[in-house]
Amino acid sequence: RLDANLISVVPEKSFEGLLSLRHLWLDDNALTEIPVQALNHLPALQAMTLALNQIWHIPDYAFQNLSSLVVLHLHNNRIQSLGANSFDGLHSLETLDLNYNELLEFPGAIRTLGRLLELGFHNNNIKAIPENAFVGNPLLQTIHFYDNPIQFVGQSAFQYLPKLHTLSLNGATDIREFPDLKGTTSLEVLTLTRAGIHLLPRGMCQQLPSLRVLELSHNQIEDLPSFHRCQRLEELGLQHNRIHEIRADTFVQLVALRSIDLSWNYIQFIHPEAFVTLHSLTKLDLTDNQLITLPLDGLGGLTHLKLQGNAALSQPFAKDSFPKMRVLEVPYAYQCCAYGSCSNFFKKSNQWGAEDLSPEEEDPHKRTMELFPGHADNHYDLDADDIQLDLEESKLHPTIQCTPNPGPFKPCDHLFE
Amino acid sequence: NVSQGCQGGCATCSDYNGCLSCKPRLFFVLERIGMKQIGVCLSSCPSGYYGTRYPDINKCAKCKADCDTCFTRNFCTKCKSGFYLYSGKCLEKCPGGLEANNHTMECTSIVH
Repeated sequence: RLDANLISVVPEKSFEGLLSLRHLWLDDNALTEIPVQALNHLPALQAMTLALNQIWHIPDYAFQNLSSLVVLHLHNNRIQSLGANSFDGLHSLETLDLNYNELLEFPGAIRTLGRLLELGFHNNNIKAIPENAFVGNPLLQTIHFYDNPIQFVGQSAFQYLPKLHTLSLNGATDIREFPDLKGTTSLEVLTLTRAGIHLLPRGMCQQLPSLRVLELSHNQIEDLPSFHRCQRLEELGLQHNRIHEIRADTFVQLVALRSIDLSWNYIQFIHPEAFVTLHSLTKLDLTDNQLITLPLDGLGGLTHLKLQGNAALSQPFAKDSFPKMRVLEVPYAYQCCAYGSCSNFFKKSNQWGAEDLSPEEEDPHKRTMELFPGHADNHYDLDADDIQLDLEESKLHPTIQCTPNPGPFKPCDHLFE
Repeated sequence: NVSQGCQGGCATCSDYNGCLSCKPRLFFVLERIGMKQIGVCLSSCPSGYYGTRYPDINKCAKCKADCDTCFTRNFCTKCKSGFYLYSGKCLEKCPGGLEANNHTMECTSIVH
């Protein structure tokens, strides 16, 4: 371990003779260049970190003799450019971390890394992901590249990545078409927001049989295909698009679909059978559309329904239409009256997923137990995100939050006499 | 209340929570004592954890369940008993073409 020193140069013969050295820490030093010569004599090296230095460039063949290297960390340097052959020789590399650098272009040199599983280049200055970007990396499982000013993504950039589980693209405004994901059959989470997509290809679900979460908010989608081949779809985000109609086959047979967000669209018509087969649907957000009526068939399992901003939607709702409802937002106060008297039975709701609990209603012991659910056996609980408080799913208090609240100026009784 | 006069490598600390931040180059670790967690600053991470250095903080995180010491979460350097180490992974059985060395608890090439 040589980490956390002030090393600025590694002489050529520094590691000579260390034929069995496997793990090398050179992070948090003052290197401005890759010590190419010194690294030429480490045939058994499997893991190395050069993170937190001031390296600005990776020359060609920088790691050419490190054929056993599996993990290479280069994060938090000042890398602006790579040679086309920078990573040649790294035949065993599985993890490459280029996060928090100053790369201006996509690191094309990765094409020689045939065994790469995990690639990170988030927080750089990359504007485009080219066509066939990962053609040399068929085993990739995760790619992290958020916080880059990516504007353009090649249509074929993410093809033939059969192990890739998650793909997130946000704000790539130059993307006009939905990417061709042929051969990327294990994708479970696809996030493609704030781009310029206006059309979803008919066969998109055939390419994505494992898709669980599809997030396409803030695009320009007008017409929806049938998602029926996305059989495992659980969450669908289509808010802030230009959708004007939901047909009978749009969501048909999506038996795992739990949540649909269609808020901020132009939906005027929903086919009466649109939700009939959605047996798992619990959340439906239709805020700010142009609905006149809402078909209720298939919505019996809803716990969260949001309809505010549909000025023409005046139908009253019967309480038994939504036996499991917990959070209901409707265009008009009188539509809340079906859910009991106008006394303090109603509560102000200000969050989509969580419920407001007044302090005296919380069970201190329950709250404490949730904070330390399962780490009683060791005394280092280091990973703060292991402690997950999921208020949304807790069934602490089954009151129904319905807004807007009926009140003196928005009475229930007066309207019905 | 945050006090400046701290011991044990803390940069800032509080009576109740221990270290809130560490002096340069030390690793911040949350140590639990009963129901309480206190921050401590160490020069290297405890066994079963690996360290990652960042500009603003150096953190320790757990290795995988089958691993005793590791370089990163996905790259083990010493497996727990009953597992063989091969290329950073802990295996119950060595892959074809390799033999299990019960002395080093690693999968090694078969020597003919």
